[in-house]
Amino acid sequence: MQDAQQTLDQYFLEMRWRCLSLAADLDRVERAPGGNAVIGSDPRLKKLREALGVLLEGRPNRAEQVQSIFSDKTPPPR
Amino acid sequence: MKYIDPHIHCVSRTTDDYLYMARAGVVAVSEPAFWAGFDRSSAASFADYFRHLLDIEPKRAAKYGIDHYAWLCINAKEAEDVALSREVIKLIPPLLDHPRVLGVGEIGLNKNTRNEITVFEEQVDLAARHDQLILIHTPHLEDKHKGTSIITSILKNDKRIRPERVLVDHCEEHTFRLARENGFWAGMTIYPVTKVTPQRAVDMLETFGTGMVCVNSASDWGESGPSNLTDTCLEFRRRGHSEPEAIEVFFNNPCRFFGQCPKWKIKPIGE
Repeated sequence: MQDAQQTLDQYFLEMRWRCLSLAADLDRVERAPGGNAVIGSDPRLKKLREALGVLLEGRPNRAEQVQSIFSDKTPPPR
Repeated sequence: MKYIDPHIHCVSRTTDDYLYMARAGVVAVSEPAFWAGFDRSSAASFADYFRHLLDIEPKRAAKYGIDHYAWLCINAKEAEDVALSREVIKLIPPLLDHPRVLGVGEIGLNKNTRNEITVFEEQVDLAARHDQLILIHTPHLEDKHKGTSIITSILKNDKRIRPERVLVDHCEEHTFRLARENGFWAGMTIYPVTKVTPQRAVDMLETFGTGMVCVNSASDWGESGPSNLTDTCLEFRRRGHSEPEAIEVFFNNPCRFFGQCPKWKIKPIGE
């Protein structure tokens, strides 16, 4: 089993491109006509910002917490 | 190394994919009945689809040395039409003895509606009455956690259902425990845009353990492919897990789940 340093060494470039890719995605939305309004108001992007907060908080089970943010929490149909 | 892809929609794939699978070491596949990408107009369309699954696709696979099995049902998306669903369900019992049928699936929910739940319960009843294995489709994206909760509750409340004869598929980080802690098999689908990447799948294998877990590609008409399965095994090995450990996950586990149906003839390696 690899230690943490080896794991980071192995995945860092992938982590870097995923971060860059998301940054470029947001730039693309913002550049498009109406971009500023969408960036500020779309509920999906609000969830994305919430998810990014989870990544920065430093608590474990980040993937599960992010999944929860993107999950429907209404009760089942009767 | 030999592989089994426990969930793949071969009817939607090219012959090149069969060639890839054969070269990569895939020796058997199981193909659940699913949504074709459009709603079918009548039960007769499903009768033709079932014939395709049971008589045509096994021959196509056999040309590449791949053993092909299938599952029958009406899928969750078309289950919104309850009347059509009931007509389709009537087609299934006479086909359950076909040597290529492993059970009822992939049944489940799509948008978690009342109609979908009604048809799901009727297909669980069908499986229970005919003592069939069950393959479960859980919903996508924001609907997954709620849908998986509803599905596992229904299954747990039906005392005829033995959890070890049910595979709850498309599990992710927030639903894996719902399957395993209730005694069901858990399936992980390597379908990077909407489900799981190879890296996250191996994270879950390391976090939750490798017992009663099957990994599949669910390759279909969307952005998917059989190499997602072999890439996941590569990621598993790249992290230092041994070949015997990989064989457990990518070959022996599907043999153990499917082996509960006497029609499945492939035995786990080393047992």
